[in-house]
Amino acid sequence: MTILCVRFQLPPAREAALPELLELLEDFTPVVEALPPDGALADLRGAERYFGRGAVELASVIRVRALARHGVDCVIGAGPGPMLARVALRAARPGATCAVPEDAVAEFLADRPVTVLPGVGAATARILCEYGLDTLGRVAAAPLSTLQRLVGARAGRELHEKANGVDRGRVVPNAVACSLATERAFGRDELDPDRHRGALLSAAEEIGSRLRAVDKVCRTLTLTVRYADLPRSRTGGAPPSTTRSRTLKEPTAHSADLARAAYGMYDALGLQRARVRALALRAEGLTPADQASHQLTFDPADERARRIEEVADRARAKFGPRAVMPGRLAA
Amino acid sequence: MPGFTHLHTASGFSLRHGASHPERLAERAFERGMDALALTDRDTLAGAVRFAKACAAAGVRPLFGADLAVAPPPGPARGDESVRRERRRTPVRGGAFVDESAARAVFLARDGARGWADLCRIVTAAHAGADIPLLTWSDNHADGLTVLLGPDSDVGRALAAGRPDRAARLLVPWREVYGDALRLEAVWHGRTGTGPGSLRLAARTVGFAAEQGVRPVLGNAVRYADPGMGPVADVLDAARRLVPVDPKRGLDSGEAWLKGADAMLRAAERIVESAGFRREAAHRLMEQTRATAAECLVDPEDDLGMGSVHFPEPHLVGAGRRTAQRTLASRAAAGMVRKGYAGRRAYWERMHHELDIIAHHGFASYFLTVAQVVDDVRDMGIRVAARGSGAGSLVNHLLGIAHADPVEHRLLMERFLSKERVVLPDIDIDVESARRLEVYRAIIGRFGAERVATVAMPETYRVRHAVRDVGAALSLDPADIDRIAKSFPHIRARDARAALDELPELRRLAGEREKYGRLWELVEALDALPRGVAMHPCGVLLSDASLLSRTPVMPTSGEGFPMSQFDKDDVEDLGLLKLDVLGVRMQSAMAHAVAEVARATGERIDLDALPPGDPAAYRLVRSAETLGCFQIESPGQRDLVGRLQPATFHDLVVDISLFRPGPVAADMVRPFIEARHGRAPIRCPHPDLEGPLRETYGVVVFHEQIIDIVAIMTGCGRGEADQVRRGLSDPESQGRIRVWFAQRAAAGGYDAETIRRAWEIVEAFGSYGFCKAHAVAFAVPTYQSAWLKAHHPAAFYAGLLTHDPGMYPKRLLLADARRRGVPVLPLDVNRSGATHRIELVSESAVASAGVWGLRLALLDVHGISEAEAKRIADGQPYASLLDFWERARPSRPLAGRLAQVGALDAFGANRRDLQLHLTELHRGARSGGGGQLPLAGGRETASAGLPDLSDAERLSAELGVLSMDASRNLMDDHRAFLRELGVVSARRLREARHGETVLVAGAKAATQTPPIRSGKRVVFSTLDDGTGLVDLAFFDDSHDACAHAVFHSWLLLVRGVVQRRGPRSLSVVGSAAWNLAELVELRARGGLDQVAARLAAPPGTAGDGSVPTDGDGDGDGTADGDGPARARPGGSGGRPAPTGSAAPDPAEERRIRMPTGYEMHPWADLRPAGEGPAVGRKLWHQSPGSAG
Repeated sequence: MTILCVRFQLPPAREAALPELLELLEDFTPVVEALPPDGALADLRGAERYFGRGAVELASVIRVRALARHGVDCVIGAGPGPMLARVALRAARPGATCAVPEDAVAEFLADRPVTVLPGVGAATARILCEYGLDTLGRVAAAPLSTLQRLVGARAGRELHEKANGVDRGRVVPNAVACSLATERAFGRDELDPDRHRGALLSAAEEIGSRLRAVDKVCRTLTLTVRYADLPRSRTGGAPPSTTRSRTLKEPTAHSADLARAAYGMYDALGLQRARVRALALRAEGLTPADQASHQLTFDPADERARRIEEVADRARAKFGPRAVMPGRLAA
Repeated sequence: MPGFTHLHTASGFSLRHGASHPERLAERAFERGMDALALTDRDTLAGAVRFAKACAAAGVRPLFGADLAVAPPPGPARGDESVRRERRRTPVRGGAFVDESAARAVFLARDGARGWADLCRIVTAAHAGADIPLLTWSDNHADGLTVLLGPDSDVGRALAAGRPDRAARLLVPWREVYGDALRLEAVWHGRTGTGPGSLRLAARTVGFAAEQGVRPVLGNAVRYADPGMGPVADVLDAARRLVPVDPKRGLDSGEAWLKGADAMLRAAERIVESAGFRREAAHRLMEQTRATAAECLVDPEDDLGMGSVHFPEPHLVGAGRRTAQRTLASRAAAGMVRKGYAGRRAYWERMHHELDIIAHHGFASYFLTVAQVVDDVRDMGIRVAARGSGAGSLVNHLLGIAHADPVEHRLLMERFLSKERVVLPDIDIDVESARRLEVYRAIIGRFGAERVATVAMPETYRVRHAVRDVGAALSLDPADIDRIAKSFPHIRARDARAALDELPELRRLAGEREKYGRLWELVEALDALPRGVAMHPCGVLLSDASLLSRTPVMPTSGEGFPMSQFDKDDVEDLGLLKLDVLGVRMQSAMAHAVAEVARATGERIDLDALPPGDPAAYRLVRSAETLGCFQIESPGQRDLVGRLQPATFHDLVVDISLFRPGPVAADMVRPFIEARHGRAPIRCPHPDLEGPLRETYGVVVFHEQIIDIVAIMTGCGRGEADQVRRGLSDPESQGRIRVWFAQRAAAGGYDAETIRRAWEIVEAFGSYGFCKAHAVAFAVPTYQSAWLKAHHPAAFYAGLLTHDPGMYPKRLLLADARRRGVPVLPLDVNRSGATHRIELVSESAVASAGVWGLRLALLDVHGISEAEAKRIADGQPYASLLDFWERARPSRPLAGRLAQVGALDAFGANRRDLQLHLTELHRGARSGGGGQLPLAGGRETASAGLPDLSDAERLSAELGVLSMDASRNLMDDHRAFLRELGVVSARRLREARHGETVLVAGAKAATQTPPIRSGKRVVFSTLDDGTGLVDLAFFDDSHDACAHAVFHSWLLLVRGVVQRRGPRSLSVVGSAAWNLAELVELRARGGLDQVAARLAAPPGTAGDGSVPTDGDGDGDGTADGDGPARARPGGSGGRPAPTGSAAPDPAEERRIRMPTGYEMHPWADLRPAGEGPAVGRKLWHQSPGSAG
């Protein structure tokens, strides 16, 4: 009963606040593993003795502090290992920490759907359900060789162990690699590529300036196009969308580079009649700007663009975000 | 100021382009003082006949033309490089833009019949290409056509681009071909810039025309009749281009309406002034336009051939060098001998009498043509039967067209054809539906493609499609659109708002109607506009070799049959001979049953030579368990059969006739049944009338009886009597007939009392009855199917399930088979055929009477192709799973489905283990490795230790894969809960008292709102609960509480009162209804208390979101089209709505009054809301872990 899995209920706009929240956890234990965008694992093995409280009680303390200091609520699961803590998190609610009883792990897992296991995604779950292995109890009862035939040798073995409550994982302290996201929604079904590109430019500008404001650069840019169509699943679910990711040539926060990458991904889709309802950009793999390398060129234009951006950032800081913007967005 | 003639006008027949019906355009043209109007639809002449008729009614001269996409002339010199675009990347989603880049020109027919023939030819040629209609340059020539090059032509586009030099170059080939018949069309829609519709382009066109010496004309590129219809045009554009309306990209100008002469003169003035001419030049422009219109003279009667008749040439129908009439006479005489009537004088007289009538009209070729077709079909081994009034002709019978002997059944030739009646006779033939296209091919092969064409059937906007298209154009949420569309019954689009006001099941939707803004208005504006064109399912045109110069023909999309662009009414007006070849699934089903019996037992059954009066067949009919029997399987018919208790063929004929709108409306059913069972006296005013009246106990059921009564009483011929009968439905002529009837009868020596009583009968029933020839033609397959069901039930169900002819879902037929003791054998790859088969289950003591079971068919498996099914069936037997996989080569999903439903159970291991083995075989095959399969003991497949499917999962898999609950009834699983509720099963219901309040439950099988006598809207539904069927009726007062649940649930729990009307007639009048699936879920989740809470809630409130209401988005995509077979006396065809007709009046005032005074509820006789009877998975709760 030593590992906590915490998920903070962060609105998407405040994803950048995760590091501060992790610091909060580090007040209790140095062994904290971030689970971006909004979660973390914490190993309280030493803390329990130090604070003289059980993990579940500490969970309440953590929640109170998160609410008091940051105004962020959280959900917490507790268990003997990280995997079990994560499973417990699925059953927890704000204010009701769910703990896996150490002596009855198998019973705890038996009736749960396979999707609660970390590492079992939609694809694996679909395969397992197809063969009637829809609960962990059934997976645990299936022969190891059969599981390996279903999902592959290694994944099968891991699945078999996890389903039987064997939790070999441990909490590995790591730094945050969080992300920034923004979305541009259209009021109606939009087909016009010009307006799509306008939205992408504006989103890239925003991502860039937000990155520069916290002195970060990003390595990867992800474009999500959401369409106005019926959800694929008949029981609801999200409307269909297309997602494309591109790793940038070099980590950057330069808006023009970001916009170019976004255009590249958008053009590759070749959309014509697709009814686009929203375009979303997400910058991933954020690292501190001072650690980033930048390829210098002999072309003065690039240099100039970056200096203009710097000036524009300062103008925006002084006169508001709409003080300076690209011409095509001003129209 | 004389009127102006619009030379460029698109009607609604320009699919998703024109917004007004041709009738409306003609009306408006008259109102605005025009004396001529052209109809130039895009790529089609389909509106021409309606337009001609409307113009004749309005007193406007019609001009005919078409607006065609034209390919540029070939040759390297043509500077087309400038517009060639780079090839675009294939979109990852949403599809490519609709290509509308081809230049267009307007072609007007000029010189009478020659112009019309040219027009037909050029439209046909435009459709000859691959996909989109495009006129190639080599076909682009005609002597009788005038061509207008407007803003959308290549010349116009060059001018818009500011390239008069290029325009001049492009004009050259046009001038070479059309010379003096070429015109340049200037259009001003008040747009800015230089694009189509701009003043500058119009001025450039006029200036260019002067420069080039080509005559200019003024047009308005009309696409709607009235101002203010721009938004409708926008929606149509959006629906055509499959994109939403985008205000930023420019909307319709709103100017493309049928402007009057003054407005057009003003436009002309502006254009010529802008072109740098004096204002007076406007009159020259108008004069040119008028002169062009004056040249285009095509007379609808003489030149289109309206009102004349064209039969195939006699030598094609076996006449050789003789005349058609003599050939017909000798063939009829041969028939007399063959059928054994040679010694009977009455038959000879009847035959000669009929031949006289045929000769009088010159229709001999027609009869020979039909006989030829029927002979050909029969030679192909396809079942064929005549239907309709043609069955009343002895000549038809002698030629082998009609099966029943008309003399014996007292059918009259005059009901079909008489000297007094000048219309084209109409013989319909029924063939096996599965082989209908073969028949078409045979007909084309016999007469040649230049004489044969199928008939078009425009698909028009009704409310559901209109909601979908308008919603998509307005960018509404797709989920909302889907929900709104499915909430509506299948009604006319123009009734959308009225339905919202009046229908209880739409009340929830009505509450949020404001949310959708202009949706409703636009939906109503699309009413009855054609949105596509399909091949009519039965009409075939047969003509002489001149067919292609009288009708434009396009290939059908699927089979590539030649299809006339005219629909079935137009074709009749044009005097083209139409033969209705109906594909009847019951014929296919019976053919399959007979073939199965022959295959399995070697016994050959000749259905056309069955012994009449088979007691077992009639016992079956009287038991009212007639599911699957032709014409008598509907709930209403089962009720009627139960009361009427037919014992002879004639009783079947009467039964079929009684269950028709007319006889039901005239209340013939009750008196007939009273009289038949001796509870009421037989009415007969005079001994002379005993002949016609006795057969139906004094109740007039048939048209033939009226004809006979009138003929006997007045002494006029039967031909005239038939004319009189037709006049009875009109109240005005009825008065005249009454006087005439009384005079003639009195002259014939009848006393006043007799005349009065005879007239009473004629008056009461005259306009309602049913044509006996129809009924006899129907009753033949009815008897045949009942005979099969009684004697070869397994084969009968095999035929039914294979060809699915009925109104009920297959699972209900299967339940019926189970109830009647036919063993249902599961799917098995080693035993099942592609189609349903029969199998000997147990040899009984009596050698001939073994029990035959029904083996399910491979083709019922979801997603199987015919080739796959055939491969599996051909490769039988299979020794092991590996053997099956390698030789039958099923696709992976198909093999998985087969395993799920147990078709592979013979190979050992449980169904999930089999799935795993299949996956590995599939993987092995893909990676090229050998299929290493763990085998346990010889050929058995080893177990992998996976949990087997539970009972519920098996049932779910069956429903999902076969759409049938093959192993047991799906209601069995709810048995315990139903017992808790105290639900009465269908079997126990038979013992219920009249007036008892009961609870019933079951899976909904069929829901209808037929027109009924009281003029109220009654919802009829049938539930199947595994022990039998429960017929339900919901009357007006219960609709508020029930309508939504009844239309939108698959499993129903209903409270109602038992109604008994006879020993076999029983129904439940519903007062409350709940969605049973929802209750079952509540029971499982929250116990009985939650169920109680739901029942305590006011009825009619819908449950929470857990109810699986709607599903796949394309669920009703195909279902929205109207089957032509559905009679709809409410009149919801392609008539345009007069403006403002949809003003929401109370339902009382809008009750539809039939010409006979019979009233119909405005919302009756429509396909109801929801998605039709449930199939497959929808009947089953969706559990996340279930198989599949």
